[in-house]
Amino acid sequence: MFDKADFDDEIRAHLKIAAAERVADGASPKDAELDSLKEFGNVALTGEAARRVWVPNWLESVFDFVSDIRYSARVLAKSPVFSLTVIAVLTLGIGVNAAVFTLLKSMALNPLSGIGDSSQLSIIVNETDKGRKAGLSYRDYQFVRDHDQSFSGLAASGLLAANFGRGKNAKPIYAELVSGNYFQVLGVRAELGRTILPSDEVAPGRHPYAVLNDGFWRRDFGADPNIVGKTIEINNFKLTIVGVADPSFHGMIVGYDDEAFIPVMMAAQMGANVGSLQSGASTDVLADRGAGILDVFGFLRPGVTAPTASAQLKTLSATLMQEAGISETKQQLTLLRIWESPYGGQTFLLPALVVLAVMGLFVLTIACANIAGLVLVRGMSRRGELAVRLALGASRSRVVRLLLLENLVLAIPGAILGMLLAARAIPFLTSYAQTMAAPQRLFFNIQIDRLVIAFAAAVATASALVFGFVPALRSSRIDLVTAINEDSSPRGAARGRLRSGLVIAQVAVSLLLLVGAGLVTRSLDAARHAYPGFDPNHVTAIDIDLRANGYTPARGRVFYRQLLDAVKADPGVESATLASTMPLNLTGVREQRVEVDGYTPRKNEDLGFESATVGPDYFSTLRIPLKAGRGFEDRDDETAAPVAVVNTTFAQKFYAGADNAIGKRIRVGTGGWRTIVGVAADIKYSQINEPPRPYVYQPLFQAYRWSMTLHARGSGPTNAMVEQEQAHIATLDSDLPIIHARALRDTLPGATVILEFMSAFLFVFGASGMALAGMGIYGLVAYTVKQRTREIGIRMALGATTVAVIREFLGRGVRLGAIGVGVGVAGALAISRLLASVLFGVSATDAISFTRAVAIVLGGVVLATIAPAWRASRTNPLTALRHQ
Amino acid sequence: MTLHSSRPDARTDLLHGTLDMLILQTLQWGPQHGYAIGQTIRAQSSDVLQVEAGSLYPALQRLAKKGWVTSKWGTTEANQRAKYYRLTPEGKKQLLREESRWTELVAAIGRVMSWNRP
Repeated sequence: MFDKADFDDEIRAHLKIAAAERVADGASPKDAELDSLKEFGNVALTGEAARRVWVPNWLESVFDFVSDIRYSARVLAKSPVFSLTVIAVLTLGIGVNAAVFTLLKSMALNPLSGIGDSSQLSIIVNETDKGRKAGLSYRDYQFVRDHDQSFSGLAASGLLAANFGRGKNAKPIYAELVSGNYFQVLGVRAELGRTILPSDEVAPGRHPYAVLNDGFWRRDFGADPNIVGKTIEINNFKLTIVGVADPSFHGMIVGYDDEAFIPVMMAAQMGANVGSLQSGASTDVLADRGAGILDVFGFLRPGVTAPTASAQLKTLSATLMQEAGISETKQQLTLLRIWESPYGGQTFLLPALVVLAVMGLFVLTIACANIAGLVLVRGMSRRGELAVRLALGASRSRVVRLLLLENLVLAIPGAILGMLLAARAIPFLTSYAQTMAAPQRLFFNIQIDRLVIAFAAAVATASALVFGFVPALRSSRIDLVTAINEDSSPRGAARGRLRSGLVIAQVAVSLLLLVGAGLVTRSLDAARHAYPGFDPNHVTAIDIDLRANGYTPARGRVFYRQLLDAVKADPGVESATLASTMPLNLTGVREQRVEVDGYTPRKNEDLGFESATVGPDYFSTLRIPLKAGRGFEDRDDETAAPVAVVNTTFAQKFYAGADNAIGKRIRVGTGGWRTIVGVAADIKYSQINEPPRPYVYQPLFQAYRWSMTLHARGSGPTNAMVEQEQAHIATLDSDLPIIHARALRDTLPGATVILEFMSAFLFVFGASGMALAGMGIYGLVAYTVKQRTREIGIRMALGATTVAVIREFLGRGVRLGAIGVGVGVAGALAISRLLASVLFGVSATDAISFTRAVAIVLGGVVLATIAPAWRASRTNPLTALRHQ
Repeated sequence: MTLHSSRPDARTDLLHGTLDMLILQTLQWGPQHGYAIGQTIRAQSSDVLQVEAGSLYPALQRLAKKGWVTSKWGTTEANQRAKYYRLTPEGKKQLLREESRWTELVAAIGRVMSWNRP
């Protein structure tokens, strides 16, 4: 090893000996000392060179690299305005993308927390030939699990919207019914006690256990260390707590915070049902092949590829069909990636996120073009320095490397700040989503993890290359003579072409962003003003769940009748009803197989539709027009003949018209035949931008459900009505929890929340894109003006007017702007298909959005051009000429 | 003549190698300190080769790293402290190798230079 102190000692000895020799030759001690020092040369450099002998080669190149970085940092620190501008622009560009990417990660790429790598998880669903995806029944799951060879283990789970506790203090939670191997397959441990085990999947109804999630345990049980062995009441059924799951685990359903895990064997006791027909605990939900309550998933065995697994699943599917004796309906077990799963938040959020991701990249493009402009201009002013370097023998590649390194030095803080920006912005978004979902809990895997960091690093590096490479190459191709002579006359059209290209790119991409933002804003506007097919004003919406108080269907019916009578007796109430689902509920409800009497399904035809159970007077209370027949009345009770109401689209599809539908028969799910007594107009069932779809209604007293929403219409203040109704419920059963109580009107923002979310995002994108582009264009024009000061001076000395000078610059700016607009419009048209998937009420080629965007962009170009042009016109010819 | 075969810069390697050889040669007659090595080379070459300290000391470090010389503090005849370098057996072998290569090289260069002489 190199010993610095020893080496210094040696040098001192050397100097002493040399000096002593000189003294011996007759020199004065002082001269001798100075002479020997002079002869020795640079002591520090010698020490450094001696030290470097001991440094391994690879380390030396690291030192080179570090010294390059240090040099870059020094150079950049000398022009703080440039550096800070670049960092700020990059922070914005990377922040926007990191935020969208984090959301995309939390919805699709790695949406589950606490599982090794959820992106590697494969999902198995039943897919009809029409592409409708549904869960598997327990028996199908068993079959697949026992015969499959591609997975290291197949687990299953189903979401259970449950009530925790009893009576007034009951609280709605999300729980999961899980297979015995669920925790093993996912590799999730218990933080306390044990997980659900395969031994918990033996006999239906015999495994009354629950594993809690960590948050639930902390919030509702005060992190009780002795929780194991205590009981918890879920859906009116006592379960013994056997453990608490790992803190990072929030269940299998994207976007949901699942608070309890219960063996699937308890499905019937937990009230898991298929649609509306189950009344009370049916013991055969596990045996029913039609009850697709389970999401089946697992990790593929090492070495098994997805196509192989798919092929095996196909074979398995055929065997399963044969065994079950199913031949007429074509269903196929299909392998999906986690983001294709039919359950979870990603199902309705993913299209919006994809659009945002693309738009985010546009912002980054502008940011890069913007910085490329800055780097280019700066490269011009650094021509002297670079020319000297080249003249001293630095190789071109070395100069390019140095310039690229400078960009990287700027990109890294940009990436870090961008990530911090994203990390700040996202909890804000998710907490907003949580308020919308309360009291149920959501969970998004939005932690900044390796994936996000890798993404930000990749984006930063890529942008450093993009915004740095062309300008760097150009700067390294300096004509030495002209550069050293400091001749700044415009030379070569090429440099101007690059600048023009940057202006055009920024204009084009900001136009794209503005068109996108405009389209979504107009969609939102249209969605807010669109008539959803029912009248949400002056109607209450109060959610109750009779399960929490252990009602039997018989007692439940009595309760419903008493409640409706009491509410209707209020003076302000015109009509009142109950419904199992609210319209415009965003997510929709599980579809059910519908059989239509006299209609033979075409081969491969999939007759699965959504349905609702509603009380008497439902259609009049919500003011949904009836196209034919009648709505449900009090007489449609459990003793009367079974009836149904369908919507116009249903009637059109099967009976070619509303009038023909009356008197025809249908069967919903596993229920009996019902006669259609009415046809109701279509309404918007889940989202305002949904296409018309067939829909079926069943009467409450013939298709009992324990979780209903009370709607009452009255002309008085709706809030007062809400309070009145809560009082009625309390009078009838003071222990019954009221899950939500509000006006129906107030639930509607939920239906436009995605558009709102997108329009907020795109507004930010569009505004920042436009601001960046404006700044960029201003900078480039200002630079051109500065470069041409002398020329302008001469022309003005020769009699050119101010107006002529302004006109020239403006003309050039507007010309470039127009080209950019042309490119941008073409681009916007090219991506209109992508946008169309999220728009409502406007076409993706909406003229107003396009015109507005073009106007804003051209206005921005004119503004950004006119200021430097005006300055140019004020040039004093004498000063300009005296410059050299 | 590459001591640092992984370094791309062959020109400096040639110089380094030659200086290394000269130092080893000087140490053949017994241990010497840095200043004396420089003076010896200078005197032996009749003042043609002036070894700068800036090259000499890194070279000594290089030789020490290779294990061709060892060093030890001692005192000069004038009773001054100095670090003495001594040739190791490996250093001696290396010197022989360098010597024969050098002779070959000089002969080769000589042949080239005298080739078109009348």
